[in-house]
Amino acid sequence: MTFRHLLAAALLAVLLVWHSQSEYYGFELLAEVAVFAILAMSLDLLAGYGGMVSLGHAALFGLGAYLYSWLGGPMVGLTAPMAMLGATLGTGAVALAVGAVAVRVEGIFFIMITLGFGQMGYEFFFQNKALGGDDGLYGIRRLDLSSVGIDLSDPGSFALAVILCAVVVYLLLAWVLATPFGTVLKGLHANPNRLRALGLRVHAYRAAAFAFAGAVAGFAGSISAQHTQFIAPHLLNWTTSGEVLIMLILGGLGTLVGPAVGAVVLVLLRHELSSVTDYWGAVMGGFLILVVLSRQNGLVGLTERLLHRRRG
Amino acid sequence: MLTDPSFWLVQGLNSLQLAMLLFLLSVGLTVIFGLMNFVNLAHGSLYALGALIGYSIAEALGSVWWAYALAPVAVAAVGAVLYITLIERLRSAGPLPQVLVTFGLIFVLMDAQRYLWGTDALGVTGNVPFSGTIHIGVEPYPAYRLFIIAVGFAVFGGLYLLLNRTRLGAEVRAGVDDAETAAALGVNVERTFFLVFLLGCALAGLAGAVAMPAFSAEAGMGVGILVPTLVVVVIGGLGSLSGAFVGSLVIGATLTFGTALFPDFAGVAMYAALIAVLLFRPHGLLPARG
Amino acid sequence: MMKRTVLAAAAAAMLAALPAKAADYKVGILLPFSGVYAGLGAHIENGFMLGLKDFGGELGNNTVSVVRDDTEADPGASLAKAKKMVLSDKVDVLTGIVSSAVLGALRDFVHSSKTPLVVSNAGNDDATGERCSPYITRVSFSNSSITRVMGPWMAKQGIKTAYLMAPDYAAGHQMMDAFRATFEAAGGKIVGEAYPPLQGTKDYGPYISQAKASGAQALMTFFAGGAAISFVKQYKEFGAAKDLSLYGAGFLTSAAYVHVQGEAADGIIASLHYVPTIDTPENKRFQDGYKAAYEGKLGSEFAVAGYDAAHVIVKAIAAAGGDKAKFKDELNKVSFNGPRGPLRIDPATHNVIQNMYIFRNEFADGKVTQKVLATIEGVQDPVNGCKM
Repeated sequence: MTFRHLLAAALLAVLLVWHSQSEYYGFELLAEVAVFAILAMSLDLLAGYGGMVSLGHAALFGLGAYLYSWLGGPMVGLTAPMAMLGATLGTGAVALAVGAVAVRVEGIFFIMITLGFGQMGYEFFFQNKALGGDDGLYGIRRLDLSSVGIDLSDPGSFALAVILCAVVVYLLLAWVLATPFGTVLKGLHANPNRLRALGLRVHAYRAAAFAFAGAVAGFAGSISAQHTQFIAPHLLNWTTSGEVLIMLILGGLGTLVGPAVGAVVLVLLRHELSSVTDYWGAVMGGFLILVVLSRQNGLVGLTERLLHRRRG
Repeated sequence: MLTDPSFWLVQGLNSLQLAMLLFLLSVGLTVIFGLMNFVNLAHGSLYALGALIGYSIAEALGSVWWAYALAPVAVAAVGAVLYITLIERLRSAGPLPQVLVTFGLIFVLMDAQRYLWGTDALGVTGNVPFSGTIHIGVEPYPAYRLFIIAVGFAVFGGLYLLLNRTRLGAEVRAGVDDAETAAALGVNVERTFFLVFLLGCALAGLAGAVAMPAFSAEAGMGVGILVPTLVVVVIGGLGSLSGAFVGSLVIGATLTFGTALFPDFAGVAMYAALIAVLLFRPHGLLPARG
Repeated sequence: MMKRTVLAAAAAAMLAALPAKAADYKVGILLPFSGVYAGLGAHIENGFMLGLKDFGGELGNNTVSVVRDDTEADPGASLAKAKKMVLSDKVDVLTGIVSSAVLGALRDFVHSSKTPLVVSNAGNDDATGERCSPYITRVSFSNSSITRVMGPWMAKQGIKTAYLMAPDYAAGHQMMDAFRATFEAAGGKIVGEAYPPLQGTKDYGPYISQAKASGAQALMTFFAGGAAISFVKQYKEFGAAKDLSLYGAGFLTSAAYVHVQGEAADGIIASLHYVPTIDTPENKRFQDGYKAAYEGKLGSEFAVAGYDAAHVIVKAIAAAGGDKAKFKDELNKVSFNGPRGPLRIDPATHNVIQNMYIFRNEFADGKVTQKVLATIEGVQDPVNGCKM
C-alpha cells in the first residue's frame, strides 16, 4: 500500500508541475482530469475492491450534477456550498435506495440491473422539460470563495481547487478502505460465502458501499457542473459509465491510485486523438482491447510487476 | 379506442413484429451468455453489420433474398475472426474484462462501418419481397411485418428442434447445465462453444438483413438496439431459448402498448419491467439452469 | 493538430482596389465527425470547403486557415474543444455546431470570450431568442421558422384536422409547437400527437396506427436522418397515405436521403429553407460544384448551410480587411443571394432571414424531384426575448 501512496504522491506532483506550466486550455484539461479521477476512484471502491461492476455509475455522477444545478439555481436557491452538500447527500440517498435493490443480484446480473437503473435516470432527465430536457441546463454558478481571496472563476485557481478535492477524496477513500468496513468490503469480493456463514449481513454492507461510492460520484458531479457551467443528460448515459470503467482498467483495478492515472491517460487521449483522426473511436477501442488482453493490472499493476522483478 | 378490436389487432401485430426482431437478436446473445458465461456488448454491432452487408449484397445482386442468405454467413465469418482473436482468450476472464473488450469492440466496429459504408443512411429501393399491404379484415397492414413475424417463429422452431433433437443440441444443453461435467463425459466443449458463437453471430446478421428493408441501414445503428436486447436476455433468463422468446414478447408488448396507452411513461417502462423481473425472479422468467 | 492552409492570397489584379492592411483569419470548424450526427457533419464540412473555394477570390490579400475538431454529440467534450480552439489555437471565428445541446454548452463561453460563432445547423429557437448573443450568428434556420409557415398554408388547402408526430426531444417539440400555434390560429384543430423516443428501435408502426385511428386529415411530422427513412417507409407500408396525408418539416425528405426513400416519398409535402430544384444561377453553381467535388452527390440543405457559412465569413473578411474587430460586426451585416435565395442576418437576433419553400416530392422514372408549391419570402423570427 505504501508504494501506491508514493505513486499517488508522484501523480500529484506531475499534475502540479503540469499546472505550473499551463495556460488556459491546460487548466481546462486539468480540471476535467481531476473530476474524472474522483469519479473513477469512487467506482474503484465499488468495482475494484467490492467486486460490484456498475454500468450505472455515470448516472449517479449526472444526478449529482443535476442536483447541484437545481438546488443552487433559481428553482431552489441554496448557496453553493449547501448545494454541493445537498448534491452529495442526495445522490448518496438515491444510491442507497438503488443499491438496496441491486445488491441482491451478482455478477452479470448486477451489471445489467445497474444499467437498467442508470438508463431510467438518463430517460428521466432527457424528457424532463423543467430541467432543460436534452438541451440541458446552463448558467450554473461556481462556488464563491472571494471572501478568502480565491477567485474560482479563474481557470487556474479552479483547476487547483479540483485537484485539491481529488486529493481529499483519495485520502478519504484510502482511510475507508483501511477501516474494518473496508476489510469486510474486500472480503465480500474475495469470499462472500464465508462472510455470510460468519453471520454477516452481506446485502447491508454491499448496499452501504454502493451508497458511499454513489455519494462520492454525486460530489464529482457537483464539481463537474461548476466546471463546465452547463450540463446535459449525456452525463448519465451508460457509455459514460463505460468510459469510467476504461479508466479503471487502464490504471489498474483495485489500486485506488490507478483509476486516477487512468483518468489522466483517457482524458488526454480523447482530446488529442480526435484532432488527429476522425476514427479516434477505433483507436481508443483497439487500445482498450490490447490493455485488457495484456492481462496486466493496468499501468499500476505493470509498474509493480516490473519493480518486483528487478528486486527478485 | 380500447373497445375497437382493430386497435388490438393492429397493435398486437406491431408488438409481435418488434418482439420477433428482438428475438432474432437476443437468442444468439442469450445462448452465448448461458453456455459460455460470456457477455457480448458488441452483439448490436453485428446486427448493424448484417444490415450494411445485406444492403451491399442486395444492391450488388439485385435481390434482397441474397442478402437474407449471405449476410448471416458474412457476419458469422466476422464472428469467427473475433472468436479466434479475442473471445477465446476471454472465456474464463470474468465479466469485467469481457464487458470492456466488447465495449471497445463497439467503437472499433462502428468506425469500421463508417469507413466502409460512409455516414449517410442507406436503404434498398427496389425489389423488396412482401413490400405491399395486406388487408386483415378492413385494416391494411404491411405484408413485410408479417414476414418478419414468420421468420421469427421459423427461427424459434428451428432452434427448438436443433436443441432438442440433435447431438449438437444435446451438447449445448449439457454445456449450459454444467460445462465441466459435459467435458468430462467426452463432449468437445470448445467446438460446441465455437459453433454456438457462430450461430449467434449469424442470427444477429439475419436480424440485420431482415430489418434493413423496413428500416434503413447506417453505421452505428447497433448501439440503439443493444440495450433493449440486453433487457430481453436478462428478463428471459440467461441461456434460455424459450426465455428469449418470452422476454421478447414481454418487451415487444411493453414498448408497443406502452407507447400507445401510456406515452409519457414509454421511455422508462422497459427499464421498470427489467427491474421488476430481477427483483422477483433474479434469474429471469425462464432460466436455463434451475 | 490538423492545420491546413486552405487558401492563399488571391488575384493580384484586385490588390489595388483593396485596403493595404491584410490579415490571416483562423477559422475553427466544430462538427460531429463521429457518432449519430457524423453524416450531417460531413455534409456541412463539404459545403464549407466548397464555399471557401468558390468565394475565396473575394478575400483580397487576406488569407484563411482552418482547424477542425470533432464535437461528437457530446456537449461536455465540445466545450473543451471550443476552449482549445479559442484559447490555445487562437481562432478568430468558430463555425459549425449540429446539436442544439452542444450550442447550449458553448453559448456562455463564446459570449464571454467574445469569439464570433457562425452556426451552420443547430436550430434551437432560444439561441437567437432569450439566449442570443452579439457573437452568435446563425445562417441555418430556427426550428420554429421551418414549421410555422405550414399552419396557414395547410389550412388554406382545406385541411381542418391534423395529428402531430416528432421525436421526443427539444427540437421535435419546438417544431410541433410552432406548427400548432399557426395552424390553430388559422382555424385548424390538432386531434392528437405522439412523441416517439429519439433513439431506440425506430419502429414507428404503433404510432402510425394510432395516428390513422385518430381520423385526422393530415399527419404533420418532423424526423431526420435514419429515423426519417424508417418513418417514411413505414408510413407507406401501413397504407396510411390514402386517408392521412403526410406533411413535414423538410428534413423528412432531405436531399441527403430522399433517393433512399424513393417511391415512399411520393406525394409528401414539406417546408424547408432549401430545395435542390431551385432554379437560380447561384444554386446551379453550388450543385454543379458539389457534384464535381463529392462523387456526384446531391448537395443537401446541410451542405448549403456550410457553404453559406463560408460565404458569410468570406464576405465579412472582405469588408473588414485586416481589421479583426470590424470583422465581428461585419458578420452580421452580410447579405447575398445564395443557393437557397436571398439571405441576410437579422440585426435584432442575428438569426438568418430567408425564404421558406413548401414543396411536394414527386416520384417518376426511379427518381424523386421536388416541385415548389409556394415560396414564403423573407421569413423572419420574432425577437423572442433577445436583447443584444
